[in-house]
Amino acid sequence: MNRCALLVFSVAVLAVAAGCQKSETTSRDADLAGVNVAVGEKNGAFRKLFVLNEGGFQKNNSTLDFFRFSDGNYVSDAFGSMNPAIVQGLGDTGNDLALLNNKLWLVMNGSGYVHVIDARDEVHVASIAIPDPRYVAFDASHAYVSSYNGAIYGGDEKKGKVYRIDLKTYRIDGEVEVGYQPEGLAVAGNALYVANSGGYNYVHEKSVSVIDLSTFKVSKTIEVASNLHFLVYDGYGKIWVSSYGESSWSQDDGGNWVQSMSEPMGLYSFTTQVGSGSSLPEKIGDVHVMCMTRSADNIYAIGNAAEMSGGYDNTLYEVSVRGGSVTATSLSKTDAAKVGNPYGICVNPENGDIYIADADYTGPGKVWCFTKDLKLKWSAVAGMLPAHMVLY
Amino acid sequence: MFPSFLAAFLLFIQAPECHPEHSEGSDTLKAAMVSSIYGSIIVPQRITSGELKSASGLSEAVRRFAGVQLRDYGGVGGLKTVNVRSLGSEHTGVFIDGIQVDNAQNMQVDLGRFSLEGLGSVSLFSGQKVSPLQSAKEYSSASSLYLESAEPVFAGGKRNNFVFGTGAGSFMTISPSAVWEHHFPGGSKLKISAGGVSSDGRYRFHVKDFRQYSDGSLAGYDTTMTRFNSDITSARVEARLSSRTEGISSWNIHAYFYGSGRGLPGPVYKKAGEYPLSEDRQTDRDAFLQGRYHRDLGKVWSLAAKVKLSFSHLEYTDFPENLPRSLSGPSTPLRDRPARYNYRNHAAYLSASASARISPTIRINIAQDIQYDYLDSDLRSFAYPGRLSSWSCASAMLHRGSFDASATLLYLNVMDSFLSGSSRSSARRDVLMPSIVFKWKASENLSFNGFAKRSFRMPTFNDLYYTTVGTKTLDPEDALQLDLGVLWDVWSSKTGHFSIKADAYRNLLQNKIIAVPTSNQFRWSMYNLGKVSVMGSEIAADCSTKISSLTEIGMTARYTFQYSRDRSDPEALTWNGQIPYIPVHSGSLNLLGAAGGWRLDITAFMTGERYTTSANLPAYQLAPWTTLDAALSKGLRISGYDLTLKLRLNNLLDQQYEIVDNYPMPGFNFRFDLSFSF
Repeated sequence: MNRCALLVFSVAVLAVAAGCQKSETTSRDADLAGVNVAVGEKNGAFRKLFVLNEGGFQKNNSTLDFFRFSDGNYVSDAFGSMNPAIVQGLGDTGNDLALLNNKLWLVMNGSGYVHVIDARDEVHVASIAIPDPRYVAFDASHAYVSSYNGAIYGGDEKKGKVYRIDLKTYRIDGEVEVGYQPEGLAVAGNALYVANSGGYNYVHEKSVSVIDLSTFKVSKTIEVASNLHFLVYDGYGKIWVSSYGESSWSQDDGGNWVQSMSEPMGLYSFTTQVGSGSSLPEKIGDVHVMCMTRSADNIYAIGNAAEMSGGYDNTLYEVSVRGGSVTATSLSKTDAAKVGNPYGICVNPENGDIYIADADYTGPGKVWCFTKDLKLKWSAVAGMLPAHMVLY
Repeated sequence: MFPSFLAAFLLFIQAPECHPEHSEGSDTLKAAMVSSIYGSIIVPQRITSGELKSASGLSEAVRRFAGVQLRDYGGVGGLKTVNVRSLGSEHTGVFIDGIQVDNAQNMQVDLGRFSLEGLGSVSLFSGQKVSPLQSAKEYSSASSLYLESAEPVFAGGKRNNFVFGTGAGSFMTISPSAVWEHHFPGGSKLKISAGGVSSDGRYRFHVKDFRQYSDGSLAGYDTTMTRFNSDITSARVEARLSSRTEGISSWNIHAYFYGSGRGLPGPVYKKAGEYPLSEDRQTDRDAFLQGRYHRDLGKVWSLAAKVKLSFSHLEYTDFPENLPRSLSGPSTPLRDRPARYNYRNHAAYLSASASARISPTIRINIAQDIQYDYLDSDLRSFAYPGRLSSWSCASAMLHRGSFDASATLLYLNVMDSFLSGSSRSSARRDVLMPSIVFKWKASENLSFNGFAKRSFRMPTFNDLYYTTVGTKTLDPEDALQLDLGVLWDVWSSKTGHFSIKADAYRNLLQNKIIAVPTSNQFRWSMYNLGKVSVMGSEIAADCSTKISSLTEIGMTARYTFQYSRDRSDPEALTWNGQIPYIPVHSGSLNLLGAAGGWRLDITAFMTGERYTTSANLPAYQLAPWTTLDAALSKGLRISGYDLTLKLRLNNLLDQQYEIVDNYPMPGFNFRFDLSFSF
């Protein structure tokens, strides 16, 4: 087969190129200069802020950047620079980025790969083929990747899966069917919680699947809210899950399309003891979630507070996972008013700095760094659709 | 009377346009050429018979023109559209014998579907054509591409002409064709032609990326892949009947059917080992019946009517991915059912125009066109849009000595109706499009011309009614063009000529329709947010000389400069960047040599660097490219049969390039054609 030959050839090219370029590919990423965007924070606990740019749909331009705290430089396409011989680079549509034991896991939705790279120097370690992978979570021995499993919009309704990958061998050693179009997932104790969106179905899903990790089978299904997406575990017995909301379009007499949101992009939580006794999933105040992250004892989210009325009011929400208090700050009154389309958020647990990935849909996006009071520290030009960030 | 078998063909009919000036009797190609230029104040760029035959297809011929950027997704079946002077393909009207080929769904005309067979000339009018008895729609596009059918020629009182041909070449391509022309005793002429293309469309291409490091070293990869799922099978059947009564009237009807099935290979991107990149398919059925009638009423008035009925059906099939073998165990079920989407476009068009020579120097043109478009689809909660468009146009032409000028006012009123919830709603949009055009012949071989035109393109059905996007008050795109040009016949004699045509222009595109995320960023909506400012110039030099009656050499060189800047958002990284896919510099060169029945054409295309976004950063740069093609043909006459042999070598330098990002173009390829006529 041509494809086989191609693979062999690519590997050969890769090997030759890697051999020829040994000094470059094995050198540390300190040689990557980047663009200076800030004064360094040499004494911080973190070395780098990694930024995964999703890239355009089927454009094969997903890239991994990082901001280096020691010199305040922003380095674009670090993966490409450190692994120049890997054919077609990271690939298409990076949908999730996670860190475990000095390894970065990059989930490439369009390419059907999960890449593992060394977080110290971005050198490629392994790639695992998984159909339509979405998000990744870990326990001590395995990585778990949610997958649409080949479903297509407009085709037959087809349930998604979670694939289990052995952390030692980087091979798939288990799979389990969950709901339709599973998204975010998190491990809590001996259970894996998976948010099902049902995004390709006419009627969306409303459930979280719970997988018993000792049997790797779905042990129960919890009904939460429609069209679920991001899911995190707070370490204190609670699962936090966001909804993409529900909307419909209609045209008025003047021919104008009007979007009406019937359910907001809300935030919900439930305890891992859910179902036993009184603990039902609850909706968290007036929180709107376009992107969210957990940092220390807070959930941070950015959403459009005026979405139900069709307006724009991008707002930062800070939800205390222990006390349950919600602080909402409208970005329009702060330095963060310059953020156009907040698409990803990350918070530095050490100093409270807030990093916002700002997606521009006609060109490259930006990464903004604000203090916890939303005062601008620095900003950098990222790749196409910066979305996922991790501190290392 | 028509022979009875013609009745069957009448289902699919369309007609070539004839201007009154065309009725001078001669059927030669030269006459056809003259007819089109005559009366048009704007001098078009034009490719005629000889050079046209050397082109490998209509899209390849059209991209020779200065000011044109061809958007080509690569391969035999890849979509090919034209963008003239940075205004976007929706602003270019494509006309077959004066009647527009359009579709309200996306306003995209795929030039890859048209055959060069039977075409007499291809002309590009920037601004617009201005000639008597034009239909109102002919004034409505920012620029117009005219495909004109060659009138059948019957040598020495012949009643029938037959041409049979076949082509074969790279990508396992086979393309047979047949033409029958008949001259009825009453003077009417019938032409029936059919052709087909079958190709697996596969070709190898390189995927490579090298990067330079600060220490000067270079590292990267260069690997070869094969384009799969790029096959096409298509068939075309046409019939055209034309008749003319000298100085009184003429009419034609033209029926056209095109059917194709093709793979959509999609963009090239990284995909895990055993997945196919794309298995998606597209099936098309296009048919139209069009006709034109023209009549002179005395010395002052002449009238013309045009009619067209068209139907097109597009079926798009989206296949789910098969899992790689390593993941699909024995229990994996057979492949899933694909998603299918069907679109059916229906259109009816009627045009009436009248022209009056009210004085020796002034001619008045009035025209009224009406069109109804309807789009049917099996998409979920589809809007089933219908559109009634009316173009009303008044135009005055002044011809005084060496000075020609024309002023036109066109009013377009568009009424949409669509399903909203359970009842139908309506929306109205109207625009006024003024234009002025002049030409001044300063001397026998030097003339100046120019135009100012404001034109609008309506939002398409896709812009307005596609189910996953919505629209708030979407306005038409607004294109303002100013142009000044010079045509200099440097040297002209019976044995040759040398001429230069140069234009400088300024375009301003406002209210450009672009998709942006809404308050829920996972839903997109169309907005009038784009603004583009263009400064450009085009220079074309054309020369040829006959060394003897059978020996000729010639050259055409065309250069385009387009400084096209994104002026949408001063805060954005894209501000003042060169807009996507428009090179600042581009050009083409055609060399011709003919001797003893042999003809050799060598064509080079050059395109400078481009960007995939208006943020002109190195990561979004597309490499410049140059291609070189050659076509060699030989005509023979063997016992009453005319035999033509043609060998075409495309991309001789095996340049690996992309016109559209991630859609690789084929490297070296060839094609051999053989045709005989009697």
